[in-house]
Amino acid sequence: MCCSSFDGEKTNPTESHATVDLQAIKGMRFFDPHVHMTSRTTDDYQAMYDAGVVALIEPAFWLGQPRTGIDSFRDYYSSLIGWERFRSSQFGIKHYCTIGLNSREANNESLAEQVMEILPLFIMKEGVVGIGEIGFDDQTAAEEKYYRQQLELAKEAALPVQIHTPHRDKKRGTRRSMDIALEHGLSPDMVIVDHNNEETVKEVLDRGFWAAFTIYPFTKMGNERMVDIIKQYGTERIMVNSAADWGISDPLAVPKTAALMKLRGISNHDIRLVTYQNAITAFGKSGQINEDDFVTIKNIDQSVKFEGNTVLRGGQQPRIDKASIIIS
Amino acid sequence: MQQKGNFLKSTFAEIIQHNLPAEIYTWLQDKALLIREEKNAGQLNLTFAAVPRKTGKQLIQFSLEEHDKLKQVHSEYAINGWTIDRLCRVWMLLQVDSSDKENYFRKLETLFKAAEMNELVALYSALPGFDYAEDWQKQCADGIRSNIGIVLEAIMYNNPYPNQYLSEQAWNQLVMKAFFTDKDVKRIIGLDERANKELASILIDYANERWAAHRVVNPQLWRLVTKFIHAENFANIEKAFNSADLSEKKAAALAAFYSHYQPAKDLLENDIELKFAIKENKLNWNAL
Repeated sequence: MCCSSFDGEKTNPTESHATVDLQAIKGMRFFDPHVHMTSRTTDDYQAMYDAGVVALIEPAFWLGQPRTGIDSFRDYYSSLIGWERFRSSQFGIKHYCTIGLNSREANNESLAEQVMEILPLFIMKEGVVGIGEIGFDDQTAAEEKYYRQQLELAKEAALPVQIHTPHRDKKRGTRRSMDIALEHGLSPDMVIVDHNNEETVKEVLDRGFWAAFTIYPFTKMGNERMVDIIKQYGTERIMVNSAADWGISDPLAVPKTAALMKLRGISNHDIRLVTYQNAITAFGKSGQINEDDFVTIKNIDQSVKFEGNTVLRGGQQPRIDKASIIIS
Repeated sequence: MQQKGNFLKSTFAEIIQHNLPAEIYTWLQDKALLIREEKNAGQLNLTFAAVPRKTGKQLIQFSLEEHDKLKQVHSEYAINGWTIDRLCRVWMLLQVDSSDKENYFRKLETLFKAAEMNELVALYSALPGFDYAEDWQKQCADGIRSNIGIVLEAIMYNNPYPNQYLSEQAWNQLVMKAFFTDKDVKRIIGLDERANKELASILIDYANERWAAHRVVNPQLWRLVTKFIHAENFANIEKAFNSADLSEKKAAALAAFYSHYQPAKDLLENDIELKFAIKENKLNWNAL
């Protein structure tokens, strides 16, 4: 659940017309620790692969349409560890996920109770690198109740927590999320506070939490502002993600931000930390991330049928010539 | 069937033991004891998910004797290419107490319902060892509907369950799906024995669709047509035999050679060299 609700600050989308040139970051590897691939196309997977994204984390979120029954949750969680994971592997990208009850749907208490019952079935699955994305949206009592319960679950399972911070009343919501996490005895280095901005970052870092930034047009961070933040705060415990979903968002936000950092004189070492390594260090505390898998995923069997065409084989992702009128 | 489960349990235990450090093997045995004795599925669910965290995911090693011993299940049964977590998970599943049938199914079906990819692989790999074997047909057929490559392979490759228990309709779906997804059909146990008229006819239609789309036809397809060549479909064999694609031609030659339909047999007189190669067994389905 990210950024599509246009209830935040809106900025002029046409400020800059600099064309995309990813040449400067060619050969670099990226890790996008927050992206909702379920709502993206295969073109996005190919573009991400081409831009150097080797692995990603898909947090469990709200799907736009509220779920009305427990089986919808079960199937969604299953798809994150099943079909979507496989789909990603076909494009040579290692797929991890975080599992949790998002804050919006925590407000449907009778359903939330049932979700809490099935969460233990999923959180210890292979490749589940944390409880997420959880936290506050409207900051209601129900949201707080299930946030707290899930923090306990994370503590018990020794898993990192990925916190969604609210669009509205963000600063206080972020502070409150951190207060509660500490109250439950979580170590701040096990908690990734997401969707930060200039107003929240200082406190998050000062208190020892991980600070994630979502590069998402109009409603969240732009990558020029991100570069300034890196220049001001350095790279320790900072990571960048796209949170791309079914709204106007950009699955290449991480590589594009890396390219911009490079243009603006940030060192390769620092770029690597905020677009790759820090996320792996943070979510790697789950014990579920193995960098060797990023390489082996490329060798997975890809011979699967798509729309009647046998297109995927031998480790090569199929390509269509988009400039051609011929589809064969 | 319980016998088969017990045989697999003990044989797998031997292989697991020399593939794991002693303390992990002990952990596995301790968990198995809890799983055998529990009424609910708490330990099973937790342990099944946790296996790779403990065992790692390296490829298993086993001796030639162990390899041959497994042939008691079926001459083509094999666990080559299995990773240690897969083997341990399968072994773990075989520990579940089956005396209360309803409870047994409930426990295992819950695992199927919430399984991630590698767990599904283990679950379907365990089918040959499950009790009440004939009652797992529907689950197996359901697995064939998956589009996840490694899950399909767990059902299709060197797995004796589908051959023994699937209905003709489900079997035909398995074979068709294998062709559609470019699987190595030679690894399907029972491929030749279960060839049937209905499947042959579906496959010939499929070959024609591929030809119409200017796409290649897997030559192994003609293997399953061999026994069902007759006047109405013979033209397809002729067409394949006259193909510019050499492997398609060879496949048609093999189908014609083993066919009981005389005009098909006569076709080979047009290419004595191919006929000779087949007679000498230089050309056969496995060499194709």
